[in-house]
Amino acid sequence: MDSIHDLGGMHGFGAVPIENEGYTFKDTWQRRAFGLTQSLAGTVPFCADMHRKKIEQLAAVDYLQLDYFEKWTIATTELMKDSGLVNDAELASGKKQFDVNQERHPPVSSVDLVDAMKTGGTYTFPDGSRHPKFFVGDQIKVRSNCAEGHTRVPRYVRSKAGIIRNIEGIFQFADSVANGMGPDPQPCYLVEFNAAEVWGQDAEAADDLLYLDLAESYLEHA
Amino acid sequence: MSDQDNDHFHGHVHDPIEEGAALRVRALEELAIAKGLVDPAALESVIEYYERETGPRNGASVVAHAWTDPTFKDWLLRDGTAAIHSMGFKGYQGEHMRVVENTPDVHNVIVCTLCSCYPWPVLGLPPAWYKGPAYRSRIVREPRKVLTEFGLNLSKHRKVQVWDSTAEIRFMVLPQRPENTDGLNVEELAAIVTRDGMIGTASV
Repeated sequence: MDSIHDLGGMHGFGAVPIENEGYTFKDTWQRRAFGLTQSLAGTVPFCADMHRKKIEQLAAVDYLQLDYFEKWTIATTELMKDSGLVNDAELASGKKQFDVNQERHPPVSSVDLVDAMKTGGTYTFPDGSRHPKFFVGDQIKVRSNCAEGHTRVPRYVRSKAGIIRNIEGIFQFADSVANGMGPDPQPCYLVEFNAAEVWGQDAEAADDLLYLDLAESYLEHA
Repeated sequence: MSDQDNDHFHGHVHDPIEEGAALRVRALEELAIAKGLVDPAALESVIEYYERETGPRNGASVVAHAWTDPTFKDWLLRDGTAAIHSMGFKGYQGEHMRVVENTPDVHNVIVCTLCSCYPWPVLGLPPAWYKGPAYRSRIVREPRKVLTEFGLNLSKHRKVQVWDSTAEIRFMVLPQRPENTDGLNVEELAAIVTRDGMIGTASV
């Protein structure tokens, strides 16, 4: 979706607020917010693309102003509301008003949760399961349309020409997964773009390069 | 708020946005526990895992290994996933890895313009600036200027390659090994590798 989260190439955000921080979490509540989202992902359940989609749906002013981990918490809360696990009155008061079916939404144990983080997710399908439409060295163009829902093709490469540098494998399609429509497996390609192609005469150096991994649905032959 | 709540915030900077966030998180945590959706021990365990067992020290050991073992370095650049997983650094946000090498001719830097994708098993959780709008908007458009702000002035003869983490593959930079480090062993080399060196916003 065309919204504020798609920041690549935008002007006006000033200097990078570089901080030589050594912390993982700056504040206690950020720690809790991180742990809460990870603990609930398997129970609700939701995946990263669904969580990202909720963050992308925030009003632009909230997206820019709220702390990163507060945005995480809002997204997690929205996913819980969608699953009927909490309601607005409970969230306002902090007091439970109804019980949920724990057989359908079982809590995850410490051991299982840490194991799940150590194992990671499965996003791929066997190499032969789809036939790539593009090959290494092909000139492609990024499609000009933009899905209204979650998508993983940034605005700044839309309609731009690039070269396929690698077939990364057959991956689940984020647009589909985020909408609860299943994996829609398809090839994912490493695509190289010239800075001059993307930024025109504003490019700092015409030969600098940008690399993005893009799903087949985002691409067409040049 | 109860007195206890006031005590909780006493001594903190009173930023209303921060306080709202803290209250929001606590309300959700209490509800989730009351409903039996979250095991409080699991919540603490996953936080501690990321505080104690992941972080840039993991990535630094991968870099030092590559600097001292050409066979491993070839493997790392050819199949970053397998080479990194062989050192035990695997899991969420590190399932698929591509390692890109800095050379005298090429400088690499990583970003996620759409959110904050970052290779957790090797670098830990990302720094605040990596997740913020200034870095994410600018590093793809004016990488050289942004790198200057980080204190890295690149020759115009050095090509800049920006890697935007738009899919499930996570990137990590293999920095150049500094000169005059021939006498260092692999542990000593790992100690000089920085997080920003592996993001590409610093040299090592």
